[in-house]
This record gives sequence, structure tokens and C-alpha cells, in this order.
Amino acid sequence: MSRYSLTSLLLIAVAVVLSALLEGVMPFPVEFFRFPLNVILFVLWGWGIVELHRAGKRSVITRYLLSRQATIVSIALLAVGCLVMGLHTVPATDSYLFVLLNLFVITQLAMVTLRGWRDSSGVRWLFTLCHLGLLLALIAGFWGAPDTRIMRAELTDEPTAIALSEDGSVVQLDYKLSLADFRVDYYDNGVPSAYEAEVDIDDSRVRLAVNHPHRVGLGEHIYLTSFEQRGEAICCVVQIVRQPWRVVMFIGILLMIAGAVLLFIRGPKR
Amino acid sequence: MSAGWSIFPIFAVVAAAMGLMSFIAALCDRKRLAQWLICGAIGVLSLFIAQLWIVLDRPPMRTMGETRLWYSFFLFVCGAFAYRRWGYSWLLGFAVMMATVFMAINYFKPQIHDQTLMPALQSVWFIPHVSIYIFSYALLGCATVLSIYSLFGRRDVEEAMQSLTWGGVAFFTIGMLTGALWAKEAWGEYWSWDAKESWAAATWLFYLLAMHLKQSGYTSRGLRTAVMVVAFISLQMCWYGVNYLPSAAESVHVYNR
Repeated sequence: MSRYSLTSLLLIAVAVVLSALLEGVMPFPVEFFRFPLNVILFVLWGWGIVELHRAGKRSVITRYLLSRQATIVSIALLAVGCLVMGLHTVPATDSYLFVLLNLFVITQLAMVTLRGWRDSSGVRWLFTLCHLGLLLALIAGFWGAPDTRIMRAELTDEPTAIALSEDGSVVQLDYKLSLADFRVDYYDNGVPSAYEAEVDIDDSRVRLAVNHPHRVGLGEHIYLTSFEQRGEAICCVVQIVRQPWRVVMFIGILLMIAGAVLLFIRGPKR
Repeated sequence: MSAGWSIFPIFAVVAAAMGLMSFIAALCDRKRLAQWLICGAIGVLSLFIAQLWIVLDRPPMRTMGETRLWYSFFLFVCGAFAYRRWGYSWLLGFAVMMATVFMAINYFKPQIHDQTLMPALQSVWFIPHVSIYIFSYALLGCATVLSIYSLFGRRDVEEAMQSLTWGGVAFFTIGMLTGALWAKEAWGEYWSWDAKESWAAATWLFYLLAMHLKQSGYTSRGLRTAVMVVAFISLQMCWYGVNYLPSAAESVHVYNR
């Protein structure tokens, strides 16, 4: 077995033991890494990547991360991770093991992307679009996760500025929401075919429908998710999503789509 | 004559027969005739899909039976393409056989073909998302079969296998990302580790692994085929297996509700 395969096995073993120990102490503190700590750590991580790239073959870490074994291990582990996630009823995104796995994958991917830009002659654009796109999407997902907040609010004609976040804590919104009007159409068998709500945000009125959210400020959107008949009145449930890193994710997705189109057009190298 | 699913048997039998005749023509080296016949089969299924779309008054892409219909359609397309491009009559025969099996399942075991389309699915993303995905399923299915075939080494299928894998992965990627963009618009998150998403990601990564094995210089066909088979099983989980998993109970991706 090669040195790099052994290194991979060792890293996996350390990660598994470490996560098991930490999991016993306390669950992964996602909230703790909220802005600005995640940005500071992200900058340090990026600096580390650039330094490793500069060190090139002189650094043993760089040699390992750029080895073919590391590439295979990184993809295979992420695939297995997704498989486990697919079997879980509750996504285990907040486990130490999953965090460590993602940290390894984005580090390895970042190194490969940097090298590819320099070395991959002939397929540079194809290579870079695919890898940089995925890298940006994963960076936004990984480093941006602590800043993402998903909240729910129940709207009636009474203005409210209270929303519940996923963990059940109460969040005070910067604006007041109230339901001005609501329309729903049904199919013949009683299933709703379409519904939409007129919602007052402070003093301005907006129309919300499924697949048609409304943006408030930068990186915050309001989504109409469901409704409930309460006696005479209707109560409408909206989801409020704060995701400041969404632009990074969006650019990553666009680059990947462009990469996939190129992948199809050019096909495998003959 | 009433329309919709009730006229499906006629179209299915005609399409299957034309597919079979195309395969026989290909075996007799009547290349031109084989191509016309398989295009005819594709045309017949297109007509059925078009009338179903009109009768249902929504894109026929929601129920299990409807996705199977598209799978049959795209299998015909892939078989026709592989025959035209590389002259593989046996792959054409295999695609016709699989397509016929899927049409037969639709005939003997029709699932609820209801007409409703919940509001979340009423989006411009719906049609590209589903059709691109199902097309990639067909490509990747053929690629997996070719990879297994390559183990017996009777004929060199390496080039076709690579092309189908790359094409399949490209379409799979686009299917997944259109899904992410849609999810952002529908409920605010690009990715939420819904069971179907997790299985799609696993499938995608296993096929990527098969691609990267070759790019990284691991040339063992056995290893590559093993990864492709795992990927293909994962694909079946992603397509309909998740319907039976408790982890997907809350998913919008479950077809049989």
C-alpha cells in the first residue's frame, strides 16, 4: 500500500475517533461560528491554502493533498457521507464527522483547483468551471452555514414582528408583517391548485405565492409555504430565510452549469 | 375514442414492435431501415406523450408512471444515438428491451394517474429539471451496462462508455443544479438534505468517482465497473427507492402520493 493511502486511512481513523469523543462532550456548536468568526476563519483557511500552494512540492501536506489518492478518497468519502445522509431521518449536517469531512473535501478541492488553473493545458476552462463552481458552492454551504437562519411566522390580519426559528427560539424581525388578503383555488378533488397572499410589510403591500418569494433587504427572502383555516379567519404560514452567502452559492451554481455544458460538448479526451 | 392513459396499450405495442423490428433490421445490417424504424418508435411515443400532456393539462412528469414513460422514451433516444454514432446493434436491442419492460410495467401496474399538480410544482423549472434528469438516468444506465460489457473484453467499448458517462454526468449535474435553483425559489434553500437530494448527491459522486479513477490513472476495469454498479444502484434508490424510505416521509420528491 502506498504512503498516501496509509495517510488517508490514518486521517479517517483520527477523524472518526475525534468526532466520537467530541460528540460525547457536546453537540457541534454551529451558532458559535456565526459572523464574524466564520469570516475570520475563512480568511485564515484561504491564506493557508495559498501558502500551501506556494510551498508546492516542498511541503508534505501539499504533496499529499495533490496526490491521486487524496482525490479518490475525497470523492469516495463524500459519496459515502451522502449515502449515510440519505438513510438518516434527520440530516446529520451538524455532526463533527460531517464537518471534518467537508473541511477535508473543500481543502483538497481548493488545492486541486489552484493547481488545475496552472497545469491543465487544453482543458483549462472546462476543468476550472467545474471545479471552481463546486468549490464556491461548497464554500458558501460550509462557511456560510452558521449565518443561515430559517424562520417561520404565522400571519393574520393582526401585525406581528415575531418569528420562530428552527430550534424553536423566538426571533424579533426588523419589520411588521400582516395578512391583507388571501385567495385559494381548488381542483375538483379538493386539493389546492394555487394560492396567493397579499401581505403588508410595514406599510408596503406585496403579493406572495408559492415559487414567487419577496426579497427584503440583502439576502433575506419571504416565502409563502402553507395556510390554515381557523374558523372564519385564514392564517398563512410564511418562511423567512436569511442567507447572506447566497450570492457565492449562486455564482458557484452558474459556473458549474457552464462547466457541465462544456463537459457535454467536449466529451472525454481522445 | 377516449384519450389519456386509456389509449396507451396501442401506442406501447406499436412503439415496442417498431423498436424490435429496428433491432432485427440492425442485426441484418440494414442500417438505414433500422434508423427509420427506431425514429418511428420515438415518434409514436412522442405523440402519446403530447396527447397525454394536452389531456392532463399539465406536464406529465409527476407520477411514477409518468417518469417511467419518459424513461422508455429516452432509452429509445439513447439506443438510436448509440447505434447511429458507434453502430452498436446490441445496445440498441438492450435499450428497446428495457424500454418495453418499462412500458409493460406501466400497462400492468398503473399507478394513480391523477391530474393534480401541487402549487410547489407549478414552476418554469419543473420541465427542465425532470426531463434532464430522466435523460441522464437513461444515459448512465447505458454507460453502466457498457462498463460491465467491457469486462468481457470482446469488443472495445471504452470510447462509447466514456462518452455516455461524461454525457450522463453532464446532464445529471444540470438536472441537480436546476433543482437547487428551483428549491431556492420555492422554499429558500438551495440544498436541504432531503432524502432524494442526498441520494442524488451520492449517485452523482459515485459516477464522478468512476470518471476520476480513469483521470487519476487507475486503469482497472473491474474497479471502475464496481464503482459504476454501486452508482447505478444508488441511482435506482434516488429515482424510486426513496419512496419506501422513512427518511423521505416529508419529501416533496415522493411520486406515489
